[in-house]
Amino acid sequence: MRRFLCIVMVLMFVLCGLLSVDAMAQETVKIGFITPLTGFAAADGYSSLESAKLAVDYVNEHGGINGKKLELISYDDGCQPDQASALTRKLIENDKVAVVISGSYSSPSRAAAVICQQAKVPFTSTYAVHPSIVEAGEYCHRIGMAAPIQGRVGGYFAARELGAKRIALLIMNNDFGVSLAEAFKETALKLGAEIVYEKKYPLGETEFRSYLNAIKAADPDLLYAPGYYNEAANIVSQAREVGLRCWLMGDEGYDSPKFIELAKTAANGVFITTDLNRDSDRPMTRYFLEKYKERTNIDADMVGASGFDAVMLVSHILNKVGTKADDIIRYWDTIENFEDCATGPIITFQERSAIRPMDIQIVLNNQFRYFYRYYEPEIIYLNPPSGGK
Amino acid sequence: MTFGYILSIATFASIYAILILGLNILTGYTKQVSLGHAAFFAIGAYTQALLITKAGLTFWSALPLTILLSMIIGVVMGLPSLRVSDDFLVLTTIGLNFIVMGITEYFDFFGGAMGIIGITMPTIGGKSIGTTGYFLITLSFLLLTICICYLFSKTWGRLAMEATGEDEDAAQSLGINTSIYKMYAFALSSTFTGLAGVLWAHSIGSVFPRNFSFEMSVLFLSMLVFGGLGTIRGAVFGAFVLYILPEFFRFIENYRMLVYGGMLAMIVILQPNGILGRGGLLDRCILRLVKKKAETQEIS
Amino acid sequence: MLQVLLDAIVLGCSYALMAVGLNMVYGLLRIIHVAHAALYTLGAYVGLYCLLNLSQSLWISLFVGALFSAIVGVLMYRIIYSPALTAPRYVPLIAGAGVFIASQELFRLLAGPYPYSFDAHFQFLSIMTPNLRVTETQMLMITFMVVAFLCLFILINKTNLGLMWRACTQDMELAASSGININLIIAINFMIGSALAGSAGILMALYRNSVFPTMGAMVSYKAFVVIVLGGFGSIPGAAIAGIILAIAESFLGMVPIFNLPREAIAFLVMILVLMFKPKGLFGR
Repeated sequence: MRRFLCIVMVLMFVLCGLLSVDAMAQETVKIGFITPLTGFAAADGYSSLESAKLAVDYVNEHGGINGKKLELISYDDGCQPDQASALTRKLIENDKVAVVISGSYSSPSRAAAVICQQAKVPFTSTYAVHPSIVEAGEYCHRIGMAAPIQGRVGGYFAARELGAKRIALLIMNNDFGVSLAEAFKETALKLGAEIVYEKKYPLGETEFRSYLNAIKAADPDLLYAPGYYNEAANIVSQAREVGLRCWLMGDEGYDSPKFIELAKTAANGVFITTDLNRDSDRPMTRYFLEKYKERTNIDADMVGASGFDAVMLVSHILNKVGTKADDIIRYWDTIENFEDCATGPIITFQERSAIRPMDIQIVLNNQFRYFYRYYEPEIIYLNPPSGGK
Repeated sequence: MTFGYILSIATFASIYAILILGLNILTGYTKQVSLGHAAFFAIGAYTQALLITKAGLTFWSALPLTILLSMIIGVVMGLPSLRVSDDFLVLTTIGLNFIVMGITEYFDFFGGAMGIIGITMPTIGGKSIGTTGYFLITLSFLLLTICICYLFSKTWGRLAMEATGEDEDAAQSLGINTSIYKMYAFALSSTFTGLAGVLWAHSIGSVFPRNFSFEMSVLFLSMLVFGGLGTIRGAVFGAFVLYILPEFFRFIENYRMLVYGGMLAMIVILQPNGILGRGGLLDRCILRLVKKKAETQEIS
Repeated sequence: MLQVLLDAIVLGCSYALMAVGLNMVYGLLRIIHVAHAALYTLGAYVGLYCLLNLSQSLWISLFVGALFSAIVGVLMYRIIYSPALTAPRYVPLIAGAGVFIASQELFRLLAGPYPYSFDAHFQFLSIMTPNLRVTETQMLMITFMVVAFLCLFILINKTNLGLMWRACTQDMELAASSGININLIIAINFMIGSALAGSAGILMALYRNSVFPTMGAMVSYKAFVVIVLGGFGSIPGAAIAGIILAIAESFLGMVPIFNLPREAIAFLVMILVLMFKPKGLFGR
């Protein structure tokens, strides 16, 4: 009998754990955040979450949401879509969040977007690029840059500004690398460049010398290698080692101080397309860069910046229209020139993706420096507005 | 209030339970340890995804086809087991996992790195079913799988499989065609695993190559061994507990996978037959309880 | 072409160093030591810690990292594997996997999720001609591997300890009954294997200039392929197979039609070899 009681008690404990409901939940405005804190994507999850917390602190210091405190509820999805979908349900039903933000990769973000669309809760992804995330429905937005825009910017810079005629592509084979490369290729071909080499490599690859030797033989003017900083650092330093003498160009995935730390001096001279301008004197950008460093002891990266921006934008919307989902969505699509964000000002939302001026940065003296900025509507808009040409 | 969350966890746990029941036939009965079961899982999920998005079939019309295809591909992938056994087979299955992942990631026919999007929820009579409906479907498939497994465990086929697993030469000398039974095990196993893949694909709505990584295979084998190899109750129990356990550790968010990994190692060492397997901790508890109950009933 | 071959050989050295430790454990205990990769990562982290906090010398950090991995390897055997030896074969496999998961998390919690730079300065030989480049790190890796294997070869074939070790791999019980302290032999076996894994971790950290929690995963899968190709339990086999695999990967990866990731190529090669030679290329 005692054993039976024990089992019952364990079961009770278990149920309590599941049903733990905050009794005093009504004083705050809640937003949900899912992000990978464990597993292979833990570093991005950490940046993203810390930046989001930074933004929440900023909002609360400046009056909160109409007098109420903003509360961030975050869960670790381990970068698994099934966990993301269960946790999104938990955020919506248990925590009753007003908005769900995903600081995770594309596969979990897509799973979460579908759940939010069904439940009619506003959702935004931060740095995930897969087009299907916003295609889940009118409740789903994207704060980061859509891949077609970023790839196009890269293509213009390579083929028009740098005048590269022979281009080699070394593509990370996930949705991020592939969708960037597609847009880049289309633009570069349109501008008269030629693709002399193309190869995909899997996430987590560390040895690129055999590819780079082949690239060297193809003698390109520019190597475009969309990917994340871990792989990119290896590509860049190995490219210098095999003696590849051409422009190297990357994307916002490179945009982390860790890239320079890992690639050391080989990083110098690498161009990246990004939206976080470290030389900017906009107050919000400076605030983010300084506070982030203060908080975590490392320099901020692009992933963090988009997490920060997502919370800033969402809190701005909540301040304006309250927490009703339909009002949020209606207002969201009308936002213009939103300045309170760490990345360049968000000009507007098009097809529910943020549109902002795009920067080219270059690594000089082991630092990312501002190099060039694109404002042209036919480049930075998803679908250029009519008459914009 | 937390209904949807619990339902969603329960749905995934049930899906994994179906998968582990499939793995149990292969690894529990014929002792062919598979550390690549995510490959079989991926085949179910991908076949269904392709049939739905490319051929335009619905959940119900694609399901039988997918299961048939999973079975055939499963048998083909099991063919190496006729040549290699034991640790070589373990490594071969790991290899299959990486090869299947590589193929789905690198060939555009399978969606490549962009995955396959738009696997809609099934409908019944033209009406879309909600989370609850989908849970009921999953649950009924789980019950069906349990029934089939139970019935199968009463047949001669299971005995032959266990004999093959215990000692292949001895089984052959008894007139058992061990090759046939190995393939039979692969066929049954990949059928159930394929079914689990179908259910998983629909509940997520999209499939990406990296969803079926080697880590998943490790998790699957862990579930089975944790619950109890070779038993139906153990398979179901292991899947539910190991899927739900990390959810309970949410309050120690940052440390939960550490605790999980450590616990897995400890439990496997202390309870090599699984918690609910033959002679396992809970198994003995339950047996004792049942016995006690019988005694008290006799006295009264 | 020669350059590609050379780069591949260097890569192969890292595979071989990992695989040898794994194979030594397999040869003796017949367990697939999944947690071996944890020792690789451990070596890299300890080496890094040394480099940042104790001394600037690569040699000291290499030594400390290998030593630390060796100690933890023996502990791992005592705590995890030795109680599981009598259990079915899958038990140590899963226990190892559990330890591997836990170790990745431990590194993440202790050192943070970000990759670290492994910025060691050292003097070593290098070849720099227009047609052929062998950097200092590459030279160091090749030298280390050659020295390590020579030592191991002498240890196994020319010493009493090696004789005892060989006796244990043949038949553990018989060896025990003829007065060999098998616990000691197993412990030494784990020590050597783990030290090799730890130093492989440091060398790769140096080569790639990065240390991060999940760095062990990819290498451990590769090491499985290598021990199968080389034959379970065969040490020279593992060394040769490691280098062959790296060469095969590098050259197959250059063929445009062979559009599969490295891992898939490696495993495809492994399965094909198993179909024709079920005991591996150099297996007994």
